[in-house]
Amino acid sequence: MSERKITIDPLTRIEGHLKFETIIKDGVVTDAKCSAEMYRGIEKALIGYDARVAQQVTQRVCGVCPYAHAEAASLALENAMGIKPNHNGQLLRNMIVGAYQLQDHLLHFYILSALDFIDITAVLKYEGDDDSVLSVKKWVQNELKSNKIFPAAPFLPRYEAMYAKGNNTNFTAIKNYLEAIKVMADLTKAVAIFGAKAPHPVTLEAGGVTTIPTIGKLAKYRSLIISARNFIKDNYLNDIIAVAKEFPEYFKIGAGYGDYLSYPYLPDENGENHLFVGGSTIDGKYEELDLKNIFEDHKYSYYKSKPDSNVRPLDSTDLTPINYEEFKEEQKKEGGKYSWSRAPRYKGKIMEVGPVARVINTYKSGKNKKLNTLVDSINKKLGLTFKEYNSVLGRHLCRAIMATTIIDKILEDTEKVIPDELAFVERAVPKNAVGFGLTEATRGALAHWIETDENGLIKNYDMIVPTTWNISPKDASGALGAVEKMLMGTKIKDPDNPIELARIVRSTDPCLACSVH
Amino acid sequence: MAILTRRDAIKQMLKVIAAVGAANFFTVQDLIAMENGRMIKPNIVWLHGSSCSGCSTSFLNIEDVSVLDILTRYTNIIYHPDISLATGKQVTEILNKASKELKDNYLFVVEGSIPVAMPHACMMGDRPIMEWMEQMSASASACVAGGTCAAFGGITGMQGMDAGVMSIGKFTKYKNINKPVVSLPNCPMKPEHLVYVIFHYAKFKTIPELDAEGRPLRFFSQTVHERCIYYSEFQEKNYAKKIGDSGCLLKLGCQGPVTKNDCMTIGHNNNTNTCIKAGHPCIGCASEHFPRQIMLHTFKDERAISKFRHFKFKG
Repeated sequence: MSERKITIDPLTRIEGHLKFETIIKDGVVTDAKCSAEMYRGIEKALIGYDARVAQQVTQRVCGVCPYAHAEAASLALENAMGIKPNHNGQLLRNMIVGAYQLQDHLLHFYILSALDFIDITAVLKYEGDDDSVLSVKKWVQNELKSNKIFPAAPFLPRYEAMYAKGNNTNFTAIKNYLEAIKVMADLTKAVAIFGAKAPHPVTLEAGGVTTIPTIGKLAKYRSLIISARNFIKDNYLNDIIAVAKEFPEYFKIGAGYGDYLSYPYLPDENGENHLFVGGSTIDGKYEELDLKNIFEDHKYSYYKSKPDSNVRPLDSTDLTPINYEEFKEEQKKEGGKYSWSRAPRYKGKIMEVGPVARVINTYKSGKNKKLNTLVDSINKKLGLTFKEYNSVLGRHLCRAIMATTIIDKILEDTEKVIPDELAFVERAVPKNAVGFGLTEATRGALAHWIETDENGLIKNYDMIVPTTWNISPKDASGALGAVEKMLMGTKIKDPDNPIELARIVRSTDPCLACSVH
Repeated sequence: MAILTRRDAIKQMLKVIAAVGAANFFTVQDLIAMENGRMIKPNIVWLHGSSCSGCSTSFLNIEDVSVLDILTRYTNIIYHPDISLATGKQVTEILNKASKELKDNYLFVVEGSIPVAMPHACMMGDRPIMEWMEQMSASASACVAGGTCAAFGGITGMQGMDAGVMSIGKFTKYKNINKPVVSLPNCPMKPEHLVYVIFHYAKFKTIPELDAEGRPLRFFSQTVHERCIYYSEFQEKNYAKKIGDSGCLLKLGCQGPVTKNDCMTIGHNNNTNTCIKAGHPCIGCASEHFPRQIMLHTFKDERAISKFRHFKFKG
């Protein structure tokens, strides 16, 4: 029996610093450990800042999904203020976060994940007449001929493994990889029209959006979204289907526990009837969301505060990191702490959050008929059931399903905006108040909790973010985190090029900066 | 790597060069020289310290020419954490090789700050990121602090943080590494600023002229306030009393007067917007004081005026 440890450190093309270790016995993963490698401590540092500062600071937890933190922070403060945005405020908020999320889906698939499946070197065989692909071909040829120390960087080196064989799949995806960068820039422009800038849109405040929606702005926004629509509905979805046809086994690889958590996302103009519902699906059974079921645990995380398990949000104002000496001790210790990420649990269960959770929960709730029709038709076309959604490709596919749904919604919302009317309701910051805000970031369920003092300054702040759910280390019971579980049982063809592991971890779109904030 | 033909790329690239303000020194002849190898393309190594990837994402959004065109036609991008296909051990090998074989021959772009008091607060390849930062900055020809965290500490250096971070400028001084550092604060970094620095470096092999804080004078010689669209309203003492009013936003918490930046010339996302034009006071994201204790507030917020100006933070 051969046993070997495979460490991937750093895993690139994700947000942040992630390391993971697996033990391979006879070519199969028998143990897995994911370590978040960065710590900042933003939640507790917020104590003493003005309540409105939380929005600007927490969105800087993450430069990839800042919009979601801005929204969650605004919702939390609105909850503490006891207000809701007005008609325009809610619509503009949807339009900012929706467009941003679309950009993020494209970023994740094309820039971060696609080249784990698509063979960039296939471009050398290209004989067609598309200028953009031809010029890539010429560039790769020249690079390979050159005597550079790092030829064809940043595309080489890569893991040498089985990439897509179909020339058409490769050529189309490479062309779309290049095209996606343009579409992404357009989508961020759409965000900036009402958000001022992307990343880090400033205008998403508690009370709505500070930008006044003039007809000119609305028209510009609409035309940018429409120009992105075909790419998202056709190219993006088709590229995923093409990859799925080349790698059907990836509808089995990367299965996790199969329990899902999501929060309500994208409401109507009254802040109700969300496009995607909140709730949990445990053992296949959907239930509505109850925040009382959430606890956090840090037995295996680099913190020394006690208690280290069953901690409720806002229960403690202290989360003290271990020092460097203690850190080195923990690293040496068998069964020691191994991640900066904490381990949140729902009803004591390890939940997967993200695209699959959002699609399955919403489907099972039956509250979005259009989504159910879309899911049914895709499942029929590809011969899938929800069982196959618990996989690498299931996650990619659900992102494309979401993107298709979101783009229709934000276009509908654009039509409903009343031009030139203020989208902001002003309130003073609330004193001695508590609030929470829930939304869905690109990568899954995001919650913020805020508590203010007698001066309207922050007394306590808590965030439980999507990647913390997914990338969490073991909890006090010793059960593996969600992504760790996905790695278990995976067959590794070549331990020197463990692309299977990279594909699995990237399929969850980990955001380490979020996870450890 | 390109989405454009050569002719188009050069045409578009000239637009970019004009937009970032490099047209007075970087000509079409220079571009052609770069394309056919008569002018050396700068090597670039990019690392994340304690960061959020916002500056990288922002760089991806540059318009007119795709970022991949810029990186592959006009630079040799040796390593970028979000673009490179290399992963795991391949990365540490590339970095070790680059610091030896490309010694004094690459621009080192740093995104995020460097935790020094808590070295374990940012690890890569089983080593604290501060060791990588030391190794890579010592071998670089110059360092670029991309974004406010790298330039001043920013969010990662706010009150109450315990990782004890340093900007790359401070860090190189602390380690006695004598390399030029150019700071490009803005949260996130403006892609135009980095492109300008890259072209300046390609042409002159130096970084542009800097102010006392290490920022290029070209972009950071004036405050946002001094060039503000509401500057005349300010002079007339016409202040907005609430969001949505027209007038100077100073009394709603605007940080424009204490923030040096060129937002009114180079706005965000290909000049689509700026915070002030979007009806929101400047939050001072490029300032050395970012983030302030109170930013957007109501018109008569007493706290902003006196009582809490010197508020002591807990902990």
